[in-house]
Amino acid sequence: MKKESTKYYPLIPVFAAYLVLFLIGRNVPGMWQLVAMLLFYCALGQAFNIFLGMTGYVDFGYVAFMGVGTYGMALAITKLAHIEGLGIAIIIIGFVMALFMATLLSLAVGAVALRLRGAYFAIATIGVNEGLRFFIEGARIWNGSEGLIFTAQLNQILGRETASTLMTFWADIMVLIIAVSAAFITLYYIRSKIGYALTALREDEDAAKVMGINVTKYKIIAFVTSACFAGLLGAASWALKTPYVFPPEVFEIHYTIEAIIIVLLGGSGTLLGPVVGGLIYGISKYYLSIFIPGFQLLIFAPIIIIIIVLFPEGVVGMLKNRFKDSALAQFII
Amino acid sequence: MKRSIFKALFVIFILFGFLPAYFTLAEAKSPEKILIGHPACLSGKYAKAGEQALGGIKACIDWVNNVYGGVKLEGKKVPLKYKYYDCESKKEAVTSFIGRLITVDKVNVVFSPYSSGLTLRGAPVTESHGMLYMDHGGANNKIFRQGFRYIVQTIGPATSYHQGTLNMIHKIDPKAKKVALAYEDSEFAKMVMHGAEEHAKKLGFDIVFKRTYPKGVTDLTPLLSALKATKPDFIIGGGHFEDGQLFNRQMADLDINSNALSLIAAATLPAFYKALTNMAEGVMGPSHWEYGVKYSAKEAKKVGLDWIGPSQDEFVTLFKKGLGKEIIPDYHAAEAGAQVLAYVLAAEKANSVAPDKVRAALGDLKFMSFYGGWDVDDTGLQVGHSMVAVQWQMGKRIIVWPEEAQTGGVAYPMPTFAEKAKGKVAVPR
Repeated sequence: MKKESTKYYPLIPVFAAYLVLFLIGRNVPGMWQLVAMLLFYCALGQAFNIFLGMTGYVDFGYVAFMGVGTYGMALAITKLAHIEGLGIAIIIIGFVMALFMATLLSLAVGAVALRLRGAYFAIATIGVNEGLRFFIEGARIWNGSEGLIFTAQLNQILGRETASTLMTFWADIMVLIIAVSAAFITLYYIRSKIGYALTALREDEDAAKVMGINVTKYKIIAFVTSACFAGLLGAASWALKTPYVFPPEVFEIHYTIEAIIIVLLGGSGTLLGPVVGGLIYGISKYYLSIFIPGFQLLIFAPIIIIIIVLFPEGVVGMLKNRFKDSALAQFII
Repeated sequence: MKRSIFKALFVIFILFGFLPAYFTLAEAKSPEKILIGHPACLSGKYAKAGEQALGGIKACIDWVNNVYGGVKLEGKKVPLKYKYYDCESKKEAVTSFIGRLITVDKVNVVFSPYSSGLTLRGAPVTESHGMLYMDHGGANNKIFRQGFRYIVQTIGPATSYHQGTLNMIHKIDPKAKKVALAYEDSEFAKMVMHGAEEHAKKLGFDIVFKRTYPKGVTDLTPLLSALKATKPDFIIGGGHFEDGQLFNRQMADLDINSNALSLIAAATLPAFYKALTNMAEGVMGPSHWEYGVKYSAKEAKKVGLDWIGPSQDEFVTLFKKGLGKEIIPDYHAAEAGAQVLAYVLAAEKANSVAPDKVRAALGDLKFMSFYGGWDVDDTGLQVGHSMVAVQWQMGKRIIVWPEEAQTGGVAYPMPTFAEKAKGKVAVPR
């Protein structure tokens, strides 16, 4: 019984961090939009970590799942706006669409790309991201290169005040829920057979295969789960917070790079790592931009390099090693 | 006892009677400063445009504070201050900095970052705070169809890019009827194409060719061969520098000649002529503003508009001082600077810095500055600014339209590619 409850102890620091962020955002004037940005980075890291951290595979095309998630929400709103009485249900439909589209894409990509390893896998996923973007623009589907702008439809469906609150507050709360859910799923995977199988394949895929682990199955589970969270994140943080979709913006590879940095900074494969990575990344960029606007990247880049050199396993990886034999060990994984 | 109660009541009456009056007076008092907030794009993909905008804003604030004497509110001159953060051309940073500017820095107005996407990203935050949001970098007309109440545009909308050039051709060659449209398949270029098509039809032109080409195109010969067959009098199109250059080069290869050719984004850049040399002679391009425009107080008077702001040369000097660099401002700087002037005039007209009042005053405002005309419709869309048409003549960029801004006459028709290959240059009529 005791063992059963201690299983969830690692969630305490994660949830505590999110609670503190929420309270700061709500109670300190002018902090909500900063908190929203930090939540986005934490959620991005948490979602990406499910695949990168647990399998060791680097998916450079990860942003494509956020892109299709954004389109899922955008299409639900633009195509169903004319139906009277849908109200807030349209947002739920949007999330279902985002989830469906991200799942579909991840299954299609996973079935092919997960047969590859290392650099070949990374290149294939970049190809998917770029290919999808050019397909949308070239085939002119979903309004092609012109994209979709749908603030007016949101105002029409929900009313101006509700739509405004949705864009400036509730969209961020949804990001928070996604981050928390991703943390919960990560812990569930770590503590279950899935996690053991993924750890085995991350350390040596061939050996895992020889030991009778169905590596393809577990890789696809991690890949699809991670992609689903990306789709939901795109729907909440991009489509609802910013009611427009332009293909070059939602398939921008820069976000994948950010996700990689966040996960590596915090500690790849750890539960708390993406939260720590997201906070270090977001806070340092934000305050450097305030104090030295235009020059922050000159300082930020060395900070990243120093952290990576000092803590090759990430900040949480280092803490994990340091508190290995202490009571804190049960909170940091 | 009765007397003391009466005294106490009297004091309370006086206090309650005068305190509100005091606070009303305190509210009506002009502020000590007017703070402009700006999530500037100083790094990332829009860094070049962002730096220009920063220089333009600093230049016009300098002019307002030191030449104009400040913003006249309640009979007092109030200085402008400027608070900016680098949003790195990223949407997450745009909202977080706008939130900070409004709630922590307590700015009086927010200037948008560069691009339509980033402008749209900030709009819900400014709207939720009832904050005036001035757009100098988002040209997409759709921004103004979303029902935002506090957004006002200074940059000309994308649909207006080729209107000036079409007006000019219509005036100088009424017989020219056949127009070909060939634009890049991008959000911005297609918006420009829609505007050009609509305006051309309004002027009585026939659209004989209309097609888009993909981004990053490396061969335009199939499209240009089809275009050649329609024998247009006038070709307009483009998207970015690379495809604009390719467009011109392959027109020369296929010997496609028309009276005029106007390409967005590419043709106004010095690098365009450097890459194509004589082949670029006579080619035109629209621009929001170019160094050399002749807008002045005199021109403003001619068209019945008020004039405000530095002259073009003063602006250039202040721009260089603001950035601390020896570079010539481009249109990004001019439109951002003109936005400062629009705000100043509107605040003075409203005699207030309250966003609602200034927004209403901006709606009624019409003026001219070194940037050209300024006027917005009910939605906040810019309708008073004309794009200038620039043409390469003898290796120089000449502003040929509108008449109040031109630095020279138009070379029309432009020389054929065969003539240009023999060294012929574009000479004005």
